[in-house]
This record gives sequence, C-alpha cells and structure tokens, in this order.
Amino acid sequence: MAGRLLLVCRVLVRDLRRRPTETVLLLIAITAATGTLTLGLALNEIATQPYQQTRTATAGPDVVAAPRATGPDALAALAPLTTAAGVTAHSGPYPVAFLVLTAHGKTAHAVVEGRDNAPAPLDRPAVTDGTWVRPGGVVLERAFADALGVHTGDTVSVDGRALRVLGTAVTAARTTYPYAGWTSPDSALTERGGLVWVDRGDIAALAGEQPLSYTLNLKLADPEASTAFVDTATTSPRRTVHGGELTTWQDIAEADGRPVAQAQAVLLVGSWLLTVLAIAGVTGVVAVRVSGQRRRVGLLKAVGAGPAMVAVVHLAEYLVIGLAAAGTGLAAGLLAAPTLIQPSAGLLGSVNTQPPALYMVVAATTLALTIAVAATLAPVVRAAATSTVHALADAATPPRRRRWRIWLSRRLPAALLIGIRINARRPRRARLVTMNTLITTTVLVAMLMNHAQDKPFDLGYSELVDPRAERTDQAMLVLTVVLCVLALLNAAVNTWTAVLDARRPLAVARTLGATPAQAGVGLAVAQLLPAVPGVAAGIPAGLGLYTVASRGGIQYPPDSWLLATALGVLLAITALTAIPAMAIAQRPVADTLRSTPT
Amino acid sequence: MTGSTLLAARGLTRRYGRGSGLVRAVDEVDLSVPAGQTLAVMGPSGCGKSTLLHLLGGLQRPTGGKVWLAGRRIDMMSERALARLRRDSVGFVFQSFHLMDELTAVENVELSALLAGQSPRRARQRAMHLLDRVGLVDRADHLPSALSGGQRQRVAIARALSNQPLVVLADEPTGNLDSAATLEVLRLFDDLRTAGQTLVVVTHDTRIAAVADRMITMRDGVFVDDSRLASAATGPVHDGRR
Repeated sequence: MAGRLLLVCRVLVRDLRRRPTETVLLLIAITAATGTLTLGLALNEIATQPYQQTRTATAGPDVVAAPRATGPDALAALAPLTTAAGVTAHSGPYPVAFLVLTAHGKTAHAVVEGRDNAPAPLDRPAVTDGTWVRPGGVVLERAFADALGVHTGDTVSVDGRALRVLGTAVTAARTTYPYAGWTSPDSALTERGGLVWVDRGDIAALAGEQPLSYTLNLKLADPEASTAFVDTATTSPRRTVHGGELTTWQDIAEADGRPVAQAQAVLLVGSWLLTVLAIAGVTGVVAVRVSGQRRRVGLLKAVGAGPAMVAVVHLAEYLVIGLAAAGTGLAAGLLAAPTLIQPSAGLLGSVNTQPPALYMVVAATTLALTIAVAATLAPVVRAAATSTVHALADAATPPRRRRWRIWLSRRLPAALLIGIRINARRPRRARLVTMNTLITTTVLVAMLMNHAQDKPFDLGYSELVDPRAERTDQAMLVLTVVLCVLALLNAAVNTWTAVLDARRPLAVARTLGATPAQAGVGLAVAQLLPAVPGVAAGIPAGLGLYTVASRGGIQYPPDSWLLATALGVLLAITALTAIPAMAIAQRPVADTLRSTPT
Repeated sequence: MTGSTLLAARGLTRRYGRGSGLVRAVDEVDLSVPAGQTLAVMGPSGCGKSTLLHLLGGLQRPTGGKVWLAGRRIDMMSERALARLRRDSVGFVFQSFHLMDELTAVENVELSALLAGQSPRRARQRAMHLLDRVGLVDRADHLPSALSGGQRQRVAIARALSNQPLVVLADEPTGNLDSAATLEVLRLFDDLRTAGQTLVVVTHDTRIAAVADRMITMRDGVFVDDSRLASAATGPVHDGRR
C-alpha cells in the first residue's frame, strides 16, 4: 500500500512540476468559480454581522413603534405600549418630522428626530465623529452624511433653516440610508431618505406647520419573541419597515442587508455560470493532458496497473488541484469581499470573515472538487478502459470515411480541406470546441440580457447615489470581468492545445505541398468550423437561461448586440488560433517531424 | 538450460475487420515455449509478430484459441487478473522504451515493484541491484531524456526484470538503436539466457538469432519455420556473432 501511495504521489508531483502552465490554468479556472461563490457567501456575513455589532453597541431596541397618527393621537397610541406585557424598558416617545435637507447643493429627504442631550436607556446612537445633539445643531446618520458628502462643521439646511453639523452617528433603531422610512405627511407611501437628529427643543420650529409624529423604542424580556409581541400588541399590524407602526429588530436587520442582497444574488448566480464555464475549461485542459498521457496509461497497464490504479493516478492530480483551488478561491473571495462590497457606513464594525465559516469552506471545497471530478471523470475513465496496445501506440482516432465528405473536401480550397481533415482526425476535440463556445456564448448573452434590463423602480427621488444599485453594479462588474477572463482563458487553452496537437499533420501537409499560410489558415478553420454551431446555439441558450431565471418582464437586447457578441466570440477564436498557428507553420517541417521516443 | 513448458498457445488467432477487410494478424498458431528458452520470432513487417507477443503477454485478447502461462489459461482472465499477471509474471520490453519521462531511471525500474505492493525500501534495493546488473547504477538518478537510446533500453530491461517475471517479452528491442547500443542489449539478453530467464523476442534483427535457442519465422500470421539453434549454446556475443 505504501509503495502504491508513493507511486501515486511521485507521479502527481512530477506531473504538476513538469506542466506548470497547464496546472496554473486549471487552478485559475477552478479558483474563479470558488472565489465568486465565496464572495457571494461572504456578502451574507456583510449583511448580518455589522447590524448585530451596532445593535449591541447602541443598546438597540427590540421593537420600534411609530404610529401613523400624529400629535396627541400618536402619543395616546404609544402610551399603552410602555406597560404592555413583555416590555421591560423603553425610551421615547421622540418627536419626528419628515423634512427636506439640502447640503452642498444636493437635496434629500430627511427623517428628523428630536432627541435629548442626555443618554437614553434604549437606542443610544454611537457618535462616530464630532458630538451628540445640542440646540442649533444637527447630527447626521453616517451613511446619509457620506452620501451627501457632509462632514462635521459643515452647514446644512433643513427645510430652509441653516443648521451646523455637530457630528455623525449610527443607530440600530432605524434602517440606514436610503431606507430610513421617510413618509410624506399627505401620502401613505414611504420614500427613500436618511436620518438626522436634532435637539428635542428645535424640532417643532423645524417642522413648522407639519404635525409631529412620534417614535417609541421598546425592550422586551425575550428579544427573539419580538415578532410574536408585534402580532399581539396591535390589532392591525403593519410590520413593514418603511413606516409600519411596529417594527422588529429583525425587520431592521433585514432592511439593512438589502443593499447587498441583490449583489449577493448576482454573485451566487454568477458563480454557477462560472462553474459551468470552469468545467468546460478544465475539461478541455484535462482532455488534452490525458490524451497526451495515453502512452503513460499504456505503460502503466503493461507493467501491471489495473484500470482502477490508472484512474487513481490521474484523478489524484486533479483532486489535488481542486483542493488547492478551493483554498485559493476561498482566500481570494474572503479578501476581496470587504474591499469590493463595503458594509454600510451606517453600521458599526467591520466584516470579519476570517476565519471563514465552516459552511463557506465546505461549499467552496465541494464546488472545486465537483468541477475537478466532473471535468476529469470521463477522460480518465476512458483512458483507464482503453486498450493497452492502442494506448502504447498513441494512435489518433481513425476518421470515419464518408464518401460525400471525401468528395466534397477534394473540391475545397486547401485551407478548408486541411481544417476539415484535422477535425475528422480528432472528433472529440472538435466537439469540445463546440461545447466550450456554446457555454461561453450562453454566459455572455445572459450577461448581456442582464445589462439590457431597466433598473428597478424605486419610490422617491434623490440626487444621491443609490447604495443598492451601486453595490449591484460593483458585483456585476466583478462577475463580468471574471467571466470574460475565464472565457478568454478557455479559448486560449483550446486553441493553443489544438495548435500543438496539429503540428504533425500540418507538417505532413506541408511536405505534400501546402504553403505555411494554407496550413495556418487550415488550423484556424479547424477551430472555427465547430465554433460556429456553438455560437449559433449559445445565443438562444443564453436568452432562454436568463428568461427562465427571471420573474418575467424581460427586455431583450437589440439584435445588433447579439450579432456583435457572436462575431466577437468567433473573431476571438480566429485571432487566438491564427497567431500560434502561423508561428507553428513557419517552423521547418523537418524539426516538427523529428521526434524522439522515450 | 530449458525445462517444462512455461508458455503455450493452441489455435491462437487474432483477426481484425470483417468481410473483404478481414485481416488475420495471427492465424491459428500453436506454440510451446519451455522454461529457460530464448525464442526469437522473426518475419517481415505486418506478419503478426507483435500481435503474437501482445496475445502471449495478455495485452490483447485473442479472437480464437487458447493461451497458457505456467499452466494457467490467460485468454479467459478478467482485466484485473490480467493486470496482476502482467505485474507478477510477465516483463515487457518495447521498441520505443516507454519509460516515464518524469521519473528517473531508478524510479522507472521500481515502478512494477511498487505496483506489486512491495515496500518502497525493498523496491529501491531491487531497482538499484537491477541497474547495477545492466551497468547503469551510476545513471540511476538521471531522467530518460538524459540517457542514450541504448541506456534507455537497458533501463527498460531492468524494469521488465523488476518483479522476477516468469517470461520477458521483448518487441523489437533493438529497433530504435544504433549498432553499439544494439550490441549492449544483445549482451544483456545473452546474460539473461545464460541465467535461465525465459525470453520471447520479436525482431527484424538477424543478430538476435545469435542469442536465441530457437527461431520462429512468421509470414501472414502463420509460422513458416521453427528452428532450434545449436550455435546459441556457447561463446560470447561479438558484433551479433559468436
């Protein structure tokens, strides 16, 4: 057993060292998928961790009551809640006005809350810069201040009244900008806006004619039972975060995570697309590696290795690469997550995903090994089952002789004839090119579809950046770049290996009179011919994939976009093949034909 | 030097294709190789020599007839049993050497022993002993690419002997070698013959006859001549002649 293990390890290590480029390519392909998956999963941590930290640091309430009624009616509605069963503490009621704030020429909705200078038992906003409220000043919620570009010491205008910015703070009692729950006095709709605090004595003057609303923070004996409390405390519960009467801390946490939720969905769906692309890419590399190792398979069998041993020798290599890629992808995803997708500035703390959660490690490892096994199983099993004599001879599959094909190819230009015959010699490789092009085009068209959709409609106006759209765009950009790099890498690997494999037949063709140009173009044609059906099928497949994954209301990109994508893919393949093909075609024929068996 | 029958075939047949494309690579041949005998199989290209060797070593299955090795019928064996047979009882030497490029000479030689489940230490000792026997102990840590053709073939012969096989089957072992290297290999085969190793050598090279006890000539898949060679008994090999 020790001897066989040594043999497997020895072959594995030597093989990895001997083919570093292919090893790196495999590593990149699998890492791209696992990295994106980790990034998507890490966003979940980004969505939940900072809220919990903020809630602890600011004595966040378990339930926030904000009745629709205003003035004395609101205070009357809130009064019974302070003594309701299960309530152990409260702060407020605090007066609230829904006004308009202007700073640096930008205007935004502001939920203005009147607070005392003394700390409250519940909801003590953590001042992150400057000082807490005092008469004549305003404190801005940090994410809101960031969006406005406002700093401590600046002057802002609230409904026309100039106020000095005393500082910035964060709270867990209200959702961060832009979901602070701004409600127009004459409308039932809740719009986007940010939270500011002013001195309780100033708010009446700021509100002017607007009747004041009120908010009350409650602490429950059992914070986990906040939903049940809300259900029993009100006869007509409106538990929506944008202006419901009673809001639980879980609702606020969910709303705080909303800006990254869409980005998370984009990255998770993207990781599956990348997985498919990675499988196609890895399959291409593995197929070439295994077919290049056919003699070795024959040799191992000749000296007494059974099919299982042959399979183990080959699979071990890819499983090791898969594990390495899982580690690399995990590290890359975790390192990139806080950089690419910042947690809201409206919350305290930073995202700490180190050490990664066990489920992330398991997910990344499973994905990497699935890609490695899915891509390698077929060629490895085929190699293990192949005849020893054939493997030792390392003969290419004899082309199927079809009379019409022979008749047709004799009448074709030399380059086309060479292309067709190269594909006839290696039919599996041609099918792999078709498959790879199909998947690449499908993914690209799905991305194109995503870009063609209208941005989601959101209530309320703002001149400020929408954090949700900003984060989703960041995620799309990351995904697009990774997808394009991987697709390009796949195409480069495919074409380069095809070029290496076709060196001998091209050299033979040249000894029979083909010019270097004809040989080079022939090879490009050999790649293009199977790519065309792949591209043709990839366009409807991409459109279909997006349609199936969407909830309706689909907008299709213009035909010119689709045509440009198809032509772009074919052009990339042509260019990627033509360069190495022309280089190979320039080499002296004798050098190529000369080979030294070992 | 020869004893009871080690390798035998009856009505051994291997056909490819059908109808007008039918090829009889080996056509109902009978063969009996006693233990310790060195048999040379000669004939023109495409006469079925290599196919015969593959059938005798369990690399290919016959389409007809029977094959026995040390009294065990091998043509009906499972793939797994055939793998074990090749590992424990048969040593192969190929024209193209078929060494693993990424392994050194000694690592190539110990390949069969490791596959057979021997401990790494014992496999290494045996491999070094065999390399010493073929005169390459000083080249043990060289990769195949750093060895000459003759040296590679000697490594391949050492590998074939790794598990002390009952029979060594050599397919054109001198086909890729120059005269000097051929002579080295011939000397090695002569040593093996003298040591009582059963050898079946398929070759074009008439000089192989110098180290064989018996020579079979094949044509179109059948044996056309089977001669016992008296000259093989004594004398050192020199330039293919005794």
